[in-house]
Amino acid sequence: MQIFSPSADTWLRAGIAALVVAVFAAGLVAAGYADSTYATQVGWAKDQDVPFSHRHHAGELGIDCRYCHATVETSADAGLPATHVCMTCHSQLWTGAPMLAPVRASLAQHRPLRWHRVAQVPDYVYFNHSIHVQRGVPCVECHGRVDTMPLTWRAKPFQMQFCLDCHRDPAKHLRPPEQVTRMDWASWSPQMRQTYGSAALRRYHIDTGKLDNCEICHR
Amino acid sequence: MSRNATYRRVTREVVTIPTRFPAPRMWWAMFAVSLALFGLLVLSVIVLFIKGPGIWGNNIPVAWGFPICNYIWWIGIGHAGTLISAMLLLLNQSWRNSLNRFAEAMTLFALTCGGLYPILHLGRPWYFYWMAPYPNTMDVWPQFKSPLTWDFFAVLTYLLVSLLFWYIGIVPDLASARDRARKRRWQVFFGVLALGWRGQGRHWLRWKQAYTITAAIAVPLVVSVHSEISMLFAAGPIPGWNSTVFPAYFVLGAAFSGFAVVTIIAVVLRHMLKLEDLVTERHLDLLGRMTLATGMMTAYGYVMEAFDALYAGGYELDTLQDRYGGYYAWSYWGALLFNFVPLQLLWWRRWRVSPIPVFLIALSVVVGMWMERFMLLVTTLYRDWLDSSVNLYHPTFWDWSLFIGFIGLFCCELLLFVRFLPVISAFEIKEDLADG
Amino acid sequence: MSAPGDPAGVDAALRRLGASQGRQYWRSLEELFETAEFRRRIAAEFPALARMPTDIDRRSFFQCLAAAVALAGLDGCERRADEDAYPLILADRDSRPGMVRHYATAWELDGVGQPVVGTCRDGRPIKLEGNPDHPASGGRTDAFTQAALLGLYDPARSGGPLRDGAPATWDGFGAVALAARERFDASGGTGFALLTGPVQSPTLLRQIAGMRARWPGMAWHVHAPMAEGPATLDGMPPLDTIDVLVCLDADPLGNGPLQTWHAQGWSARRRAFQQGDGAARLLVAEPTPTLTGVTAEARLIAPHSRIAALAAALGARLGVAEGASQPLDSKERAWIEQATDALQASRGGGLLCVGPQHGPELQMLGSRINAALGQQAGAPRSHPQPWGDLAALHRAIGQGGVHTLLILDSNPCYASPDAAGLAAALKRVPLTIHAGLHHDETGQACRWHLPIAHLLESWSDVQCADGSAGLVQPLVRPFLDVRTRHQVLALLTDGEVPARDLVRQTWPGDEVQWQSRLLKGFVAEAPIPPAKPTASAAAPRSAAPQPGDALEIVFRPDPTVHDGAFASNPWLQEMPKPLTKLTWDNAVHIAPALAEELGIANEDLVEVSAAGGSIVGPAWIVPGQHARTVLLHLGYGRRAGGPVALGSGFDAYPLRSPSSPWARGDGKLRKLSGTRALACTQTHWALGGHDWIRTVEEPGEALPRKEEQKSFFPPQPKEKPENGASPPPAWGMAIDLDLCIGCNACAVACVAENNVPMVGREQVAKGREMHWLRIDRYYEGTPEEPRQSFQPVPCMHCEDAPCETGCPVNATVHSPDGLNLQVYNRCIGTRTCSAYCPYKVRRFNWLDYTREAAPALVAQRNPDVTVRDRGVMEKCTYCIQRIAEARIAADKEGRPIADGEVVTACQQACPTQAIVFGDLTQADSAVAKRKASGRDYALLEDANTRPRTTYGAKIEGGGSESAG
Repeated sequence: MQIFSPSADTWLRAGIAALVVAVFAAGLVAAGYADSTYATQVGWAKDQDVPFSHRHHAGELGIDCRYCHATVETSADAGLPATHVCMTCHSQLWTGAPMLAPVRASLAQHRPLRWHRVAQVPDYVYFNHSIHVQRGVPCVECHGRVDTMPLTWRAKPFQMQFCLDCHRDPAKHLRPPEQVTRMDWASWSPQMRQTYGSAALRRYHIDTGKLDNCEICHR
Repeated sequence: MSRNATYRRVTREVVTIPTRFPAPRMWWAMFAVSLALFGLLVLSVIVLFIKGPGIWGNNIPVAWGFPICNYIWWIGIGHAGTLISAMLLLLNQSWRNSLNRFAEAMTLFALTCGGLYPILHLGRPWYFYWMAPYPNTMDVWPQFKSPLTWDFFAVLTYLLVSLLFWYIGIVPDLASARDRARKRRWQVFFGVLALGWRGQGRHWLRWKQAYTITAAIAVPLVVSVHSEISMLFAAGPIPGWNSTVFPAYFVLGAAFSGFAVVTIIAVVLRHMLKLEDLVTERHLDLLGRMTLATGMMTAYGYVMEAFDALYAGGYELDTLQDRYGGYYAWSYWGALLFNFVPLQLLWWRRWRVSPIPVFLIALSVVVGMWMERFMLLVTTLYRDWLDSSVNLYHPTFWDWSLFIGFIGLFCCELLLFVRFLPVISAFEIKEDLADG
Repeated sequence: MSAPGDPAGVDAALRRLGASQGRQYWRSLEELFETAEFRRRIAAEFPALARMPTDIDRRSFFQCLAAAVALAGLDGCERRADEDAYPLILADRDSRPGMVRHYATAWELDGVGQPVVGTCRDGRPIKLEGNPDHPASGGRTDAFTQAALLGLYDPARSGGPLRDGAPATWDGFGAVALAARERFDASGGTGFALLTGPVQSPTLLRQIAGMRARWPGMAWHVHAPMAEGPATLDGMPPLDTIDVLVCLDADPLGNGPLQTWHAQGWSARRRAFQQGDGAARLLVAEPTPTLTGVTAEARLIAPHSRIAALAAALGARLGVAEGASQPLDSKERAWIEQATDALQASRGGGLLCVGPQHGPELQMLGSRINAALGQQAGAPRSHPQPWGDLAALHRAIGQGGVHTLLILDSNPCYASPDAAGLAAALKRVPLTIHAGLHHDETGQACRWHLPIAHLLESWSDVQCADGSAGLVQPLVRPFLDVRTRHQVLALLTDGEVPARDLVRQTWPGDEVQWQSRLLKGFVAEAPIPPAKPTASAAAPRSAAPQPGDALEIVFRPDPTVHDGAFASNPWLQEMPKPLTKLTWDNAVHIAPALAEELGIANEDLVEVSAAGGSIVGPAWIVPGQHARTVLLHLGYGRRAGGPVALGSGFDAYPLRSPSSPWARGDGKLRKLSGTRALACTQTHWALGGHDWIRTVEEPGEALPRKEEQKSFFPPQPKEKPENGASPPPAWGMAIDLDLCIGCNACAVACVAENNVPMVGREQVAKGREMHWLRIDRYYEGTPEEPRQSFQPVPCMHCEDAPCETGCPVNATVHSPDGLNLQVYNRCIGTRTCSAYCPYKVRRFNWLDYTREAAPALVAQRNPDVTVRDRGVMEKCTYCIQRIAEARIAADKEGRPIADGEVVTACQQACPTQAIVFGDLTQADSAVAKRKASGRDYALLEDANTRPRTTYGAKIEGGGSESAG
């Protein structure tokens, strides 16, 4: 009696082919996940105790980044504003606004505000804001157009390759240091960026061959 | 091949083994033991992953201990299989036909053990894939100057090629097993594995091409893989390692230990499956000669090594003296004793063809070769350049449990193979008969 | 105290505890807020600490931010859990995340001030360095000072007052103190006894003087178990003026309160001598090897009992008539010859040190000889004279003359021969109060235990080795419910007084002066003088030589845990002892000859007995020790004081005789069955003809150069890069073995700077210690009289590094500025790098050594250094975090990094400046100059790794015509 139908071979071959495909597919899925916004958290707005809107403050009101992130030029961390920085305005404006209740509470009870961090690199990465700002890497390069974000989200995937892209070829990412906080650079053509960038590299004696060494970020 | 053997007998003896297994009780006994040991392996791995490599005896300076030593030992054992089947196939040595099937299987199983060891030995095993060159978000590649990177490729290639070669070889026998199977579950089992082999001329043609090509690919691996692994030692600027004799030394040692293991398996199967007239005295004889030959060549390696050290002097000489008289001298003299003293009996045919002695000699070679690996690794590391960093290495319970566990895994695999697949290449023997 | 976890009970306890300051333990940022369950957990874990939480201030907040960084280990590139951030409430002008501040302060060892500058990162003290402006430090420190920081964070410190072992409150004690005060005022203080350690703090002296004036009936006793030890040399001129130093059983360079001061001076002279300026000779006679002895050019092995004879002979030879001197054997005579010749050869530059343990009359002889040599003894530090020592107190208690006893920062119930007897006696005193860091042996024997603040979190003042005073200001507000030692005394005399005021009162001058002193950290002008010391009759000290086979037992403070005060400090417990490389244990040190005679091997248990009693411990054979001498290290075998302190070593105090605490002549040694495994980090030490340690005869002499071998590696440093960028620096290190005294300061500094985990005795015994910088010790010659050498071995940062060839994943690579980098988060732990490393300087995290650390210890970690996780290789990085800091600073200002701008932790600590680090491309950099010298050589040149760390050969002898 016959246990294998005439089509058995075909099925077998199909099965084997399917297996091969599946293996490749698995690889693709893994790769896809690594770059997915779920893994990188790009574009995922975070709920905060205080629904702070960069669009309103930085965009519409045009408050300079450094008013709140005061230490960005001097120290490794940009720093989050102390409660009393918020209160410099909000002791006058929206004094009763319910969404600001946590801020008032913080000042009254001497408890700090809690912010869920949005832009965050692994603990074994030692990123220093001050040197980047001094060299004219504008905020927007890493943080995106925060002036358009109602609730803040991560704009760029903070993966190693994102850092390396810039460290290996910084020229086109550099801007005049006095304008680091400027958000909209549409007016700069690629050529302008390139020419300014290469000029800046010469001016600051930046050795691009050195910038992608491990010890620049990892200690 | 005994005169009165006919196709039918061959077929019955080989192909019907799985369906009507001759020695079920013996098999179950051996399998139970192996399974228990395999359980020990699983336990050791779990503990390892929970606690970390600190459960072993490794330390600084002996950063490598059992795992690497056993890794080299296992991969070495694997070599005989490929050598027998691939090389002798291309050399048209027909006597291989009674041995190649289980020799190849043995290779495969040894590789699974050897291949897992280096991964388990890592500090962070879950990142082992960083050794593979694949596009990643870190923009970092493996370091291609490192012998380990090439180990990774070598072992992987070896595993794939051996698997292919072994499977291609077994297909026709699976088919005949399928055709002779009575019970439906056997028919389906063999049927699927036989990939619809119907013995057409076209099939045989394709099969021949595929088999020969794979053999041609496999042959260089016999030499390359263990040469590569020897670089693991030779690439380090450590007295006792940094020597050009290592590749040849390792390959020969590998083949040596491999033939020993093939002999052991041959003797056991021969007895268990009543295959006296397929695996005949002639085969034992030839195996004995191969073992003796590779063994003597390995012995030459020992001499060369000593000569190198005497020639180089300085730290190399210190290391040599330490091997002869140091704390781990037992491993050096043990290796000499077990590898080469019983081996000398194989000069006489009388010994070569009598199963029990051959079995014991082979066993002592396997032990001896393990001691050699241990000696090469530990006596070099525990005292290399500065005496200030000398430190002894004591294997712990978990070192042994992992080692024994892997032996259990190997035996499990082998026994399952014996139980469910044709252990001897029946059609090749028949082909042989046809040729006269 | 009600059951832990019962909130009502806890709250009740909190209310009782009133307004006291609390400890801040946080495992995660959320726990910062005293949520109910957090409070319950604290109560459950530390019943004594359950209390109203501190009001959150900005320091503690930044502590948490930075702690979150320090807490994190290494994860791969998987999605990370979100972190939260807690900004300030109120930011003052210069406070910002990652802010580093330096405060000049000091701490105390045996009453001697150790001036330091504390580095506070985000308000957490994370490192101590020597105070460069202070003459007693010159910016240098010893091992104890480096480890003192961990003492501040010690999880075993007691966190609140205890009464009969149960949690109590300061307010509660306040009431007791008030009652006592009234009683004393009425009775004039009769029946009140104060027991302190050695006191030299001006404020403490002022307070005590005040008490004694107010209550004339009171008695002040001082318990100083380490006093008059071989390393406590007082009134010596600074050693940088000494061409010829002859030590009779004295150990000026040994681990102790004066080590930094003396080592500095010696090194200054030695370095001048290396430049061809004068001589720097050192001759030592001693029974057992000391750091001074092994550094000496001529070392005579003489038993304790022969020192007097040698001194007499020396005196006779130098014309200080000293009656009939005993006969000397040939070796002794030869040494005396050499010593006298050397001393006479340099009039005015010669100095004789006699070990204080040999008693006043030998001291007198010593100073007479020095006078004859034209050597004025330097101004001795003012020693206040108490009314009696511990023995006197014990007697007084026995006679029932004490009804109130305050023990301030001293542990007599452990660190004294008759500890048990004393503890029993204390029970008979109606009111006993112990104030100390730990609830230790004495604390448990007393009615009240009051936790005092660690000096690094206190207001206080100290007197330093050079006699100058130093001010102590807190680096951080106390985590615990503690008071400073001054406040504790003030509680008795006046009640609660702010700690700062107590110190402020001691010092004349207005606020401006005070502030400037605080900035400098020390005071030139003298403080308000303490009560005039009254002369005390010190008992004559001599170990009467016994006839027959009696052995001489000599006692020494342990080089790592000292008198036992550091027994709960893992950094010191795991630091290999300079001469034996033992960790976590003390041992019975015996000479090879004696070991052979009695058939004793290392680690065999032996019984050492003397008239007083006997102790049992493992034997350890020490080459270069006198055959009939047994050496015991004090400070081990603690019976209380925290989990780390317990279970290591044996207590040698019981064998000490009060009459002669440092040596006795009636010792017996008996081998017992059994052994105790000791964790030793270096088991092989014979130089065996290898050139690991090289020597030259004269300062100017150059070593024979080996021609450079061929290499496949690209040349380093790299050529000039394009676009006019400045060439990268080529970092390198030079370690001068001629200056290294093996004191361990560098090794502990490295641990403190680089978050190096401590792994415990078992792991060390397995050969898994994690120190990035190890100090190898080698012997040459006979085991009876070996030459000993030290060799600090950090990562060599080879230009042609084998480890880089081995690593399959690029986890260890070379940087353009010549650093051999280890990228922890890329490491998968194949350990090939270590297998290939000829120097075996790499360390592997075999198990999880970091994640389980106590929160308090986590707070100490340096946030600039990654905390390594399980399965990762690590090694010396040349303090890459400091290099990065300098690089970024220089880049911001658009200038190259200046020489001396990057100082590695080991270099900064080294009291003898043996370690120099810098840029080799700058021809005038200190390190380039060192490497240009003919004495410079590379370790293991045969390996052809071209290391960036090289060594300076030792110079035999110390110059002058009769050198060597």
